[in-house]
Amino acid sequence: MASTIQNTEVKQKNADRAVVVAVTSREVFKDGPDDGREILDIDESFLLLKLLHRVNERLEEENPEEPLLFDVILITTDSQRQQQSSRIISSTKHYGLEISRFCFASEDDFAESLQKNNVQLFLTTDRNEASQAAQKGVLSALLDQQVACSPSDQLRVMFCEDAVIQPDSGRAVQSFTAQMGEMRRRFGMSDSPLSFILVTLHGGKDSCADSLLTLRSSGLSVDEAYCLAGAPRGPIMSVLQPHFMISISSSGLEK
Amino acid sequence: MSEINLNESASTEDSVEEETDWAAAKAFFDNLKTNKPRPPKPRFAVTIAVSSRTLFNMVAERKIYEEEGVEKYVVYQVEHESEPLKPGAAFPFVKALMTVNARLRELYPDSEELFDIVLMTNNHAQVGVRLINSINHYDLTIERFCMTGGKSPIGYLKAYMTNLYLSKDSEKVTEAIEEGIAAATMFMAQTETVKELSHTQLRVAFDGDAVLFSDESEIIVKKEGLDSFFEHEKKFENKPLAQGPLKCFLEALGKLQRKFYAKNERMNCPIRTFLVTARSAASSGARVLKTLRSWGLEIDEALFLAGAPKGPLLQKIKPHIYFDDQMFHIEGANEMGTISAHVPYGIGQKYHKGKLIEQPEKKK
Repeated sequence: MASTIQNTEVKQKNADRAVVVAVTSREVFKDGPDDGREILDIDESFLLLKLLHRVNERLEEENPEEPLLFDVILITTDSQRQQQSSRIISSTKHYGLEISRFCFASEDDFAESLQKNNVQLFLTTDRNEASQAAQKGVLSALLDQQVACSPSDQLRVMFCEDAVIQPDSGRAVQSFTAQMGEMRRRFGMSDSPLSFILVTLHGGKDSCADSLLTLRSSGLSVDEAYCLAGAPRGPIMSVLQPHFMISISSSGLEK
Repeated sequence: MSEINLNESASTEDSVEEETDWAAAKAFFDNLKTNKPRPPKPRFAVTIAVSSRTLFNMVAERKIYEEEGVEKYVVYQVEHESEPLKPGAAFPFVKALMTVNARLRELYPDSEELFDIVLMTNNHAQVGVRLINSINHYDLTIERFCMTGGKSPIGYLKAYMTNLYLSKDSEKVTEAIEEGIAAATMFMAQTETVKELSHTQLRVAFDGDAVLFSDESEIIVKKEGLDSFFEHEKKFENKPLAQGPLKCFLEALGKLQRKFYAKNERMNCPIRTFLVTARSAASSGARVLKTLRSWGLEIDEALFLAGAPKGPLLQKIKPHIYFDDQMFHIEGANEMGTISAHVPYGIGQKYHKGKLIEQPEKKK
């Protein structure tokens, strides 16, 4: 059975306004030997938490009472790791990570657990996990392993027409986009800890213009736009370095 | 320089993804109701990247950016996004490239060896809507672009396999040249001359030293004087000069020209190239022609001025673009109505009208 535990060391976020993001404990903590040590080794190369935290810090700089923050929950999706639950909790507190809740679930019920916790974005490097969650209507995205470990001063979110994980619900994308738009507007054009990128992989300029306007009408003015019209995506992606990608269809976010 | 070589060691996985992307794009364009030609496969195309300020006249908008800041500038652009921008310095050049493409498609309907025009700007994506609307207003075939939202476009130039980059920003152009990409800073010409440019033939003029060729001989002129230069060039007449930043672009033009020759269209070729050099035919000119020959490159007309001003001659040639490394010549050409592009390369950057410029300490 899945369970959710609050992190008492961290101030809980506003349930109505915060953007709930789930990451897996597998990314955050290295698999430790069962040597009785209470504290797990943190995966120093996993920088995503730092980036999410930095956005929150900057938001609170502008407004100390800001309710629109990232609310990060840590989900443990396999039974093996569940056994380490107390170590995961202690380690989180030990490193002072800004994680408000812990979810412990199994491979079978973690997607439900995400739903129950109102997760608006689930980030993982595991393709199967992401697909499973997407099928249950949770907006999921595959974290780029390499980018997640590269130093960056900005969380880079990419929208394109065929990210690996296709969203099951256009509405989930739309509400996420609207919240991101609002969050982005808290910062100026330069020096933002958040950047939104639109990439049109196959279509031409008119597809790109449509997507720009669709996102804009959903409340998000993207910062960067690239139209490839069939040009090879590899070289461009390695310059772009997005942390994760979300699919949108040009014809609208509602499917 | 600027030789974009196919990376033979690309993994099979990448190639499969590449082919899928290409097929999807092809399907997309084939299904469009308009009969717009689809963009060519980048690996075979001659890719020209133009900045928004060279493609369109954005002088007024630029003023808002400089005086009121980026936020007000973007708001202004969004408010006016249904108003097409006026043509800029690179506009006639882009139209001429499209004309060549139309001719190439007639003769070789299945070939991907075409010009590919990419809009490369560090404008914010929201300005993109106005840019796309303007591109549509003039019916330009530009389907690929990068709007980097303030970040440097240099990495993307390479990613798009750029053969030539045109911008108003000399810093970006210098950076591109240092990365081995042919690039030049464009300067607007007067409107009257633009009307006189050919609609059927792309005409490109190049200076020789420090543009097509390296600046090795120019160094001798500046440091040792003309007499030394003449002696040196005569002595080394048969030794090819080293390549300059625009050599590969001339090569790309030559490759497309030969496609017309192969179909018996030499007399009617829609690409014409010109060499406009201060060298004189008698003394230092031979080395230049022999160098071109050793590279297997042809140039349609070679004009040796022996130091005479270039302006009047260029006025007669009416190129869609003229490349020179020295601002002195760029200014002269511009004053007489020629669309000029400055190539910030070589020793010429340290001199103005023959005198060494005192360089201020570079700002860190």
